Amino acid sequence: MLAIASAGLLAACSSSSSSSSTRTPASGGSKNVTIAFNMGSEADPFFVAMNTGAEAEAKALGVTLDWQGNPSVYSPATQIPIVTEMLAERPSALIIAPTDPNALQPAVNSAIAQGMPVVNVDTHVSDLSKVLAFITGNNMQGGEVAADAMAKAMHYKAGQTYQVAVGMSSPTSTTDVERLAGFKAEIAAKYPSIQLVAVAYSQSVAATANANVSDWLTKYPNLKGIFAIDGTNASGASAALQARGLVGKIALVGYDAYSTDVALLQKGVFAALIAQQPGLEGQMAVADVVKYLRTKSVAGIPHLVTLPNIVLTPTTPASVLAKYTYPTA
Amino acid sequence: MSSVTEKPAPPPATAHAIRSADWLRSVLANQQFLLLLALLALVAYFTSRDSVFLSSGEIAAMLTVFAELILLAVGETYVIISGGIDLSVGAIAGFAGVVAAFAMRDMISAHTSEALVLTVGTITCAAIGIGIGLVNAALMNWARLVPFVATLVTLGAATGMAIVLSGGGPIGADSAAISLSARRIGPFPYLALVVIVITAISGLYLHKTRYGRFTFAAGCSAFAARAVGINVRRHLTSVYVLSGLLAGLTGMVFYMVLGSGAPTSGDGAELTAIAAVVIGGVSLTGGVGLITGTILGALILTVVQSGLIISNVSPNYDQVAVAACIAVAASLQALRPAHRRQS
Repeated sequence: MLAIASAGLLAACSSSSSSSSTRTPASGGSKNVTIAFNMGSEADPFFVAMNTGAEAEAKALGVTLDWQGNPSVYSPATQIPIVTEMLAERPSALIIAPTDPNALQPAVNSAIAQGMPVVNVDTHVSDLSKVLAFITGNNMQGGEVAADAMAKAMHYKAGQTYQVAVGMSSPTSTTDVERLAGFKAEIAAKYPSIQLVAVAYSQSVAATANANVSDWLTKYPNLKGIFAIDGTNASGASAALQARGLVGKIALVGYDAYSTDVALLQKGVFAALIAQQPGLEGQMAVADVVKYLRTKSVAGIPHLVTLPNIVLTPTTPASVLAKYTYPTA
Repeated sequence: MSSVTEKPAPPPATAHAIRSADWLRSVLANQQFLLLLALLALVAYFTSRDSVFLSSGEIAAMLTVFAELILLAVGETYVIISGGIDLSVGAIAGFAGVVAAFAMRDMISAHTSEALVLTVGTITCAAIGIGIGLVNAALMNWARLVPFVATLVTLGAATGMAIVLSGGGPIGADSAAISLSARRIGPFPYLALVVIVITAISGLYLHKTRYGRFTFAAGCSAFAARAVGINVRRHLTSVYVLSGLLAGLTGMVFYMVLGSGAPTSGDGAELTAIAAVVIGGVSLTGGVGLITGTILGALILTVVQSGLIISNVSPNYDQVAVAACIAVAASLQALRPAHRRQS
């Protein structure tokens, strides 16, 4: 009940402030192209990075971007009113990262019925048949390369035992579940000596992730690796290893390239970070939409693009690190 | 334990039986004693599952988690005894931690000494806590909101501002603060010792001073308190400021442990703090409670959280276990007045 009430409060605060648009009717001249870009939680560094990529592409192509989402709540209940309002302004196209595959389907259908091309980024609605393109990262592959990076950092040799643990956000977070599935599949296929001894949940609170890792370090004195499956687990786990003086002794693989975590990667606290490419997702989505609006043809626009997650390590060149680091405040 | 509580007093066959029945009754009436027994039983159980539970490293880890919770719970104890509720404490901790982390990050890049950095951070956190506590009081005094609504407003505002300011991610990467938070004497981290001292002072202040008695009086009956000349409005303002201050300081505890200010640090922490207070036997209707109960409640929650991981129980049971603790403690409290009336 509290969550709903505070979500409502935030939604009320946000809807007037977060627009960067100018009111431009879609029927106006072809010069005035406005693209509505709607996502779950605007302040998530992942979407901040996506905004940077999308904004740069829009500027380069001479179109206007109307970027709006709830400041912090990732929920269809807060997303639907915002996208409805955005569509009422008659943009030329809609790019959307739906928070729920079914709940956002009507909004997507309505945009298509009004003749707008629609692109899905990161997540998708259940019926993609009339959607121009879907561009996303590959969480399963991210989990697989995390296992590879961890094995490499532990100097994996068959026949020895390697106890490892995984910190997740919650048992129901779909991205976390896919990453864990990829991680487990890779271990089963390639690293039979790696033993997954524990999984714990942070509920998206770094202090809880930190406490979980501290408890593991007591329980499993021979722990060799930790897969911190999202940003909060990454910051909680990295602090716990530093506090116990175990930096470099336990292979910590984190997810997402927050600037603070990239700095810790360079110090060797993380053995690897798995970075998504939100900026590229945003850039490609804008490019696809503009291409379609200008050519009225789907030629050269792939319907499904799955971008690989990138492995960053302490030896990755600084220029590459800079490219994949999410911009933050 | 429950079978003992349900057992009716035995017929007074012998003087000995009467004495033991009286003794049992007085023990059952002492919730603090039962909480202590429950805590010891939990510790014994988790230690039997894995003896490493009582290693000094694990005790230090648990005391750190305790330090992240107890100041919120102490502030909540004051507020609840005064007849109110403060839902904003977790959000204050998260927001204060983020703002202080910005200030400290700039100082660290200017190579300011760590002692000065942490002092400024602590003062910033305290100031933000006091400020939001004043906002809570203003919403109640001037806008006439009830405590639940007033602190729900600041909960939402502080959570949102923390996320907007930080961009969602943690601010800072202060390895020196992490090392300092991990330094300890035996199983006692310095950070936890500082927090324990603040807790002790707050507890003595509640139970041994006129300020504390006014707090109980306001919670028993604001009308009666006013009638005997207590400025209830001013007193409640100070109670919410104190709760805000302790929440702000908790933001600094989070910063020390994580080496960064994370906007979600305090998410849901208000409910854990309220749980500790309720388990500790503080009445949600106000006017009744002991700080030792809150301390025992917080220790029980900490022990359960770590104990489940140490004994390799699925973490999904954590919330169920906490719910069970609340249910048992609350029913004990419901039974207690009946005992009192009988004796």
